[in-house]
Amino acid sequence: MVDPITLLIMVLAIGIGGLLVSIGVHFVPVGGAPAAMAQATGIGTGTTMLAASAGFLGLISAGLVMEEMMIGKIEYASFVAAVGDGTLFSPAGIVANIGGIAMILAAGIIGAMLMMVILGGVSNILYVYGLGVPLVSAKVKYDPITGDRQDLYVTRGTEGHGTPTVALVSAVIGGILGGFGGSLIYLVFLAGGFSVAAAAIGAIGIFFVNSVLASYNITGTIEGFHDPKFKRWPRAFVASAIASIIIGVWVAAIIYMGVA
Amino acid sequence: MEELVVSLGTLALMGACATIAGAAEDLESDFGSQSNANSQVQLAPQVGYVHRIYNKAICGEPVGYGFLCASAAAIGFALQFAFAINIVLALAIGSTISAILYGIFATTAYMGRLTGQKRFGQPIYLDILLTTTPSIIAHAFIAAMAISTFSYLFSAIIGQPFPFPILAMLWGIMTGGMGSAVGDVHYGTERQYMNKPFGCGLAASNSGKIIQQGEAGIRNSIDVAGFCVKHGGPMTGIGLGLTVFLDLWRHIIFIEYLNGWGAMIAGFIIALIWLIGNRMLELWARNTYGPYKKAED
Repeated sequence: MVDPITLLIMVLAIGIGGLLVSIGVHFVPVGGAPAAMAQATGIGTGTTMLAASAGFLGLISAGLVMEEMMIGKIEYASFVAAVGDGTLFSPAGIVANIGGIAMILAAGIIGAMLMMVILGGVSNILYVYGLGVPLVSAKVKYDPITGDRQDLYVTRGTEGHGTPTVALVSAVIGGILGGFGGSLIYLVFLAGGFSVAAAAIGAIGIFFVNSVLASYNITGTIEGFHDPKFKRWPRAFVASAIASIIIGVWVAAIIYMGVA
Repeated sequence: MEELVVSLGTLALMGACATIAGAAEDLESDFGSQSNANSQVQLAPQVGYVHRIYNKAICGEPVGYGFLCASAAAIGFALQFAFAINIVLALAIGSTISAILYGIFATTAYMGRLTGQKRFGQPIYLDILLTTTPSIIAHAFIAAMAISTFSYLFSAIIGQPFPFPILAMLWGIMTGGMGSAVGDVHYGTERQYMNKPFGCGLAASNSGKIIQQGEAGIRNSIDVAGFCVKHGGPMTGIGLGLTVFLDLWRHIIFIEYLNGWGAMIAGFIIALIWLIGNRMLELWARNTYGPYKKAED
């Protein structure tokens, strides 16, 4: 029997994880079809799938690190024991195993970050050498990070092309939030007694719910935190909070009844 | 030491599989115009540009590939589990079956998408259907086989705990994401609009005006793949291969340092190097190509 406070913390953790995914999606420079025609700034994949691609590499990395802990390749014995007996998300369990939790979350973050920089970086090589266009944004006159002038480098009839520095940094921030959220949700499932496969599928499902909600809010393309559309994030925050908490309650109910 | 050598050797094989998978995925999606900007191929007849391009984009590449690879790996897993078939053979059979299923998906999607465009005068060309669909199936087989193989290696030898059909689904989605982000740019901007000057993006006013004439006769999807194989396909392959290789390389080599934190620090440094490299590329492009206008203020 899992105690009510642990269950409450698990619901909150799923809520926080979902919210981080949803906010992280807003940071990702999504160009979709216009980006694939060098007609708008960003990466040429749809919102949900771009965020999911990064989040999934984070999830895979987190799963691998969890396994290395289980087999004792890296020393987190009390953390592994706490995951096994379901006490990880009790207040005492969190305090005692904060190092192990941080390790899993860091694995998720680094995996998602790497996927984002490679996605943005490799497509930029194609923009520069395959298409012959500079990397530029049309939403701001000066790049907020490098201070480079943008509007003079935009080709006629387009809204920018490629992923300039500000958009790539924004993508990395999005990856950090998405990777953190995804691996946190995975950890909750594991600590709740779900099998590895069920935990992975559950984390993927909650990731998709929140990234789809965020992409409805974005409607099409966004360049990152410097884009005017970014100001819409509070609406996605409310929607994702409601959705994630409801899912969290269901997960808690499954854990409470011991059918996981 | 031996374990490390086996892991690194497996990783090299996985990286090679991923590179092949990425290239095959991008070319397959170019054959079927599942790549962005598939909306332009759909739009073209509506603005008077009737074409002979195959068009099967009823779902995005990532989802399509997630399920192609998951079904290949799941069938392979079932064959190995139930009939004790050698995994290499099981994966080959699984990939063949899922590639044929993908061919059914492609055929129905092509017929369905173009049937809806009858009112704009867009015909359904049966010769296009009969020549392009086998190419789609062949490329889908290569991609499904490569992805399910490296997912199996990831699970069985590297020790990733997710069941390998789930890994194949995740890697399929990531492969589609990579193909969509990288290869589509070459297809969407350069190939479909080769009449625009090199060195500019597509002006919004030209949307839908895709090129109808090929190097010899009327252009079709096979001509498109012949062009994208020079740049879009290989870059997608390199992107996916690098993703698999860099993420696992830093994990395998550095996980034992600082009780696991070594791998995280290495990953962070790799991401920083990419960011710096991207900045250098950005500066090079700005200095070489631009500016296109004079500053008025």
